[in-house]
Amino acid sequence: MSELQALLEQARAEGLARIAEAEDLVSLNEARVRTLGRKAPLSQARSGLGKVDENERKVMGRLANEVQKELEAALQAKQEVFQAAELEQRWERERIDVTLPGAVPPLGALHPLTKTIWEIVDIFIGLGYSVAEGPEVELSLYNFDALNTPPAHPARSAQDTFYVDGAGEEVCLRTQTSPMQMRIMETEAPPIYVVVPGRVYRREAEDATHTSQFAQIEGLAVDEGITMGDLKGSLSAFARAIFGGDLDVRLRPHYFPFTEPSAELDVQCFVCRGSGSGCRMCKGEGWIEVLGCGMVDPALFEWAGHDPERYSGFAFGMGVERIAALAHGVSDIRYFYDNDLRFLSQFRGIA
Amino acid sequence: MRVPMRWLAEFVDVDVPVDKLAELLDLSGTKVEAVHRPSAAIGGVVVAEVLGITQHPNADSLTLVDVRAGSGDAELVVCGARNFRVGDRVPLAQVGARLPEMEITERKIRGETSRGMLCSAAELGVSADHSGILVLPNDAAPGDDVVDLLGLDDTILELEITPNRPDCMSIVGVAREVSAILGNDLRHPLVQVETDAGVASPVRVDVQDATGCPRYLARYIEGVKVARSPAWLTTRLLSVGVRAVSNVVDVTNLVLFELGQPLHAFDAANVPDQHIIVRRARRGEGMTTLDGHERTLHPDDLLIAEKKEPLAIAGVMGGGDSEVSDETTAVILESAHFQPESISFTSRRHGLRTEASARFERGTDPDLVSVAADRAASLIADLAGGRVAPDIVDQYPSPIERASITLRPRRAEQVLGAPLGIDQQASYLRALELEVVESDGALQVQVPLFRPDLKREIDLVEEVGRLAGFDRLPNTLPPGRTGRLDREQRAERAIRVLLADLGLHEAWTSSFMAEVDLSRLGVGRGDPAAGVVRLANPMSEEERCLRTTLLPGLLRSVALNERQRAPGVALFEMARVYEPSGERLPREAVVLAGVLSGSRRVASWDSPEEPWDLFDAKGIVEALFASLGLPAPGFSQAQGLPFHPTRAAAISIEGRSAGAVGELHPQTLVAWEIERPVIAFELALAPLLATLGGKPKVQELWRFPSNLFDIAIVVDAVMASSEPSRIIREVGAPEVVDVRLFDVYEGDQIPAGKKSLAYALELRAQEGTVTDAMAAEVRDRIVGALAARLGAELRG
Ligand SMILES: [Zn+2]
Repeated sequence: MSELQALLEQARAEGLARIAEAEDLVSLNEARVRTLGRKAPLSQARSGLGKVDENERKVMGRLANEVQKELEAALQAKQEVFQAAELEQRWERERIDVTLPGAVPPLGALHPLTKTIWEIVDIFIGLGYSVAEGPEVELSLYNFDALNTPPAHPARSAQDTFYVDGAGEEVCLRTQTSPMQMRIMETEAPPIYVVVPGRVYRREAEDATHTSQFAQIEGLAVDEGITMGDLKGSLSAFARAIFGGDLDVRLRPHYFPFTEPSAELDVQCFVCRGSGSGCRMCKGEGWIEVLGCGMVDPALFEWAGHDPERYSGFAFGMGVERIAALAHGVSDIRYFYDNDLRFLSQFRGIA
Repeated sequence: MRVPMRWLAEFVDVDVPVDKLAELLDLSGTKVEAVHRPSAAIGGVVVAEVLGITQHPNADSLTLVDVRAGSGDAELVVCGARNFRVGDRVPLAQVGARLPEMEITERKIRGETSRGMLCSAAELGVSADHSGILVLPNDAAPGDDVVDLLGLDDTILELEITPNRPDCMSIVGVAREVSAILGNDLRHPLVQVETDAGVASPVRVDVQDATGCPRYLARYIEGVKVARSPAWLTTRLLSVGVRAVSNVVDVTNLVLFELGQPLHAFDAANVPDQHIIVRRARRGEGMTTLDGHERTLHPDDLLIAEKKEPLAIAGVMGGGDSEVSDETTAVILESAHFQPESISFTSRRHGLRTEASARFERGTDPDLVSVAADRAASLIADLAGGRVAPDIVDQYPSPIERASITLRPRRAEQVLGAPLGIDQQASYLRALELEVVESDGALQVQVPLFRPDLKREIDLVEEVGRLAGFDRLPNTLPPGRTGRLDREQRAERAIRVLLADLGLHEAWTSSFMAEVDLSRLGVGRGDPAAGVVRLANPMSEEERCLRTTLLPGLLRSVALNERQRAPGVALFEMARVYEPSGERLPREAVVLAGVLSGSRRVASWDSPEEPWDLFDAKGIVEALFASLGLPAPGFSQAQGLPFHPTRAAAISIEGRSAGAVGELHPQTLVAWEIERPVIAFELALAPLLATLGGKPKVQELWRFPSNLFDIAIVVDAVMASSEPSRIIREVGAPEVVDVRLFDVYEGDQIPAGKKSLAYALELRAQEGTVTDAMAAEVRDRIVGALAARLGAELRG
């Protein structure tokens, strides 16, 4: 073995030993300088290459390169170990308990009556209706007279209807959304397909199912050739959309002053599925009353200036609180107007 | 309306089970509200004879009653009522008996042992009458089961009769419906009165108001012996919830329920000269009605009177003086037809609704007047031994005519949407006892007077429809149109959704406010009477006015939630406010209001509690404007209730006033009993909706970076920070595209009475990049303007 070869082998052995001894990135860097730096044994050995003959120089040059590669590889491997360990420490330093509570932004909710109105209105929009609103303070002319409710009718008494001070019984708070039927028919030519949500007022003693102000949704469809079958089909579609597609729906004859024939729409009780026995939801009847409806009375067409022989139509009205209470299991409709956050915050979610 | 099945069966065969009948009635328009089977809840109640009544030794209001039921021993029961005498028959619920609301056990009541209970009609579940023990007919045998005696094993239908169907206010009328539904014949009650040629009626009748009283008939019966009614009559009345009084009165009630024609029996001796006058009340006239109330009459009230004094309020209630009593021997029997509106007004005016007025105000059958009088006269003759005078007074100057209506069967089919042939339609109408003649393919229909609701063709279409059954109609859909919300409706929805997303709960509060709320909220300052719509008949003073602001309702809800210890309350409402318009109807405007109080965020593991503050409210308003695509709102210092004097701003949109935002005045909070500060905002919706743009048009994106620089100035401490912002925007245009205030400082670094404001500006060139020279020029322009117009000094 030549002297040069011995030096190179020594540089290899020493270098590998130094690298093995390194304990962290700092000592590894020191080891790098001392094995591969200009003053390192390998560099010094290389400087001896110029002093040997060409044959040996070739052989020894190859050996020097081999040693250098081996040392570099050892450094690299060791460095990767240290880097991995350091990252490992960093991750531990940066660890977050992700089960700590999140910073929830303040969360509000729409009122259940608003949601119920939107749900109902959207079903009718799907059936081709538009939406209108009318005055809450209304002329008795529209609220009563035009709707076949003459002055002698008990509903018009100051016992039952709010009147505006200073106007006798000429101006009232509307007791129903129905006066909008007249206002719309008076100003629009058929075809008319419209729903009218809004507040109405009645002088009622308040209890779990009555409040002196509440919301109604009125509907009106006027066109040529509208039949009671259209009423039945439209409102059955609505009732099933709201309460469940597999429930039975029935029309039961009733009386309203401004529709004829008149009916109430019942939907099969969604709690007992119509069996009725012992059911508290439907009080054993098996059916739940949903809304009042009927064919527009020809007298209304005449009042509004439309030919009752040419046009026919149907109208309906429903109480929003009642439907919301049924849908959400609300036992007392006064809760809707208390705005207790413990109540309001229960109406999140998709209807 | 109570309909006992046994009574009904006298007039029509019911060959289906009761539940089926109830369903058929429901589906033909006579809603069955309940089916009562009173006996199901009653057992062990027997007829007992009262042997003795003594005072309870320890309670003034109680008595000890000795009773014997049949052959057994006498029992002692404690009783609270005193409406019976020794010898009377009464219902005794023996120990172990069952009643609808209770079970009877031996009990000590104030030291005395009670072996059972005497029952009122209400306790037996037969009527709402709580007023005393139900005294039974004298011919009831002690020991007999009261259920059998009173026919409580009958089934009773409770019907809802709609106001258009006066004919169904009677058993015969309901029987007519049932006959039409089941296709079984209707049996009319047999009416035959035996008169006594030896009796002459002394009755004279003057109808001075034939409009109010189109028909008045009087029969005269003498030799009457007033006594208790027999068991069958007592039972029958009890089955419709009426307590028996005496044979004569009970007969009039029986006929009322049976036929639907109210009758009145006067003691002839108390009608001077037996001369009856039907007239309107005189101004200032008064009378005491049977219920003991002294009533002041109205000139529109129709009266039955003798020559001087009123005898009865026509069709509503009699007076005490002329009532049939135990001493009565001769009776004047009134059977009349009154104008429905007149009875309705009088009944409402006096708050007096009776079985009679309920029928007259819906409209009775004028043709029934004589039938009912004869039916009652014959019963009185039978039960009270009366002799009926053959002559009748019957004032009916203008007989009411039957309506004659043409029904086009094709029209009925068009309205109903179902094929129902002419024969089918005719048979439905005939089943209702209408006279139907077919001619030229149409039906000519004569309507008896018991159906005043049938006046027009459409009324007959309804009858055809409901008897055919709505279940026979097809389910079809009309064409509809293009249904959608308009832009303003979509904006209103978007606003509600945004506010809920920003952390507010939507509220619905009352449309009413109290008079006192006006001054509390500073409404109509200067002239408190102006600007408010008031109700003539509010439910309470708290609800006297229509609201002009949504704050009262929202503040009530804040107080409620504060009492419930909610850590934070953030509510909004979008609803109407009302103000006089000078027209007949007030102006109604939609307003959006919000209230913020307490914690926006409660203390958490990583951050302290964060209260809602004024800038949250402003931020919400600004976010609202931005999300609707509106120009930024303007804010300026504002003053006045309900706000804190120095912590409120008026809001404007493009120079138009739109509302206000601010902290509420402490005295406002006191008025609503709220402890924590409340921030509120209120915005009129109209100016916002009027400013909505169309669909946004996109601008080309900037290809060159913008240039940012800051300006810090020193101004007077009271100066609104919006002033420099406005000037920077104005003077910096068009290069300055954004101005943001990022620092406000008052303190040691600057002179007292001054503050430092620092703004970050964003500059853009129309073309290319912003050069240093351009930026310097803009900066000089702005600094110069701020100095000249606000006296602002550049800081540092
Ligand atoms: Zn049910």
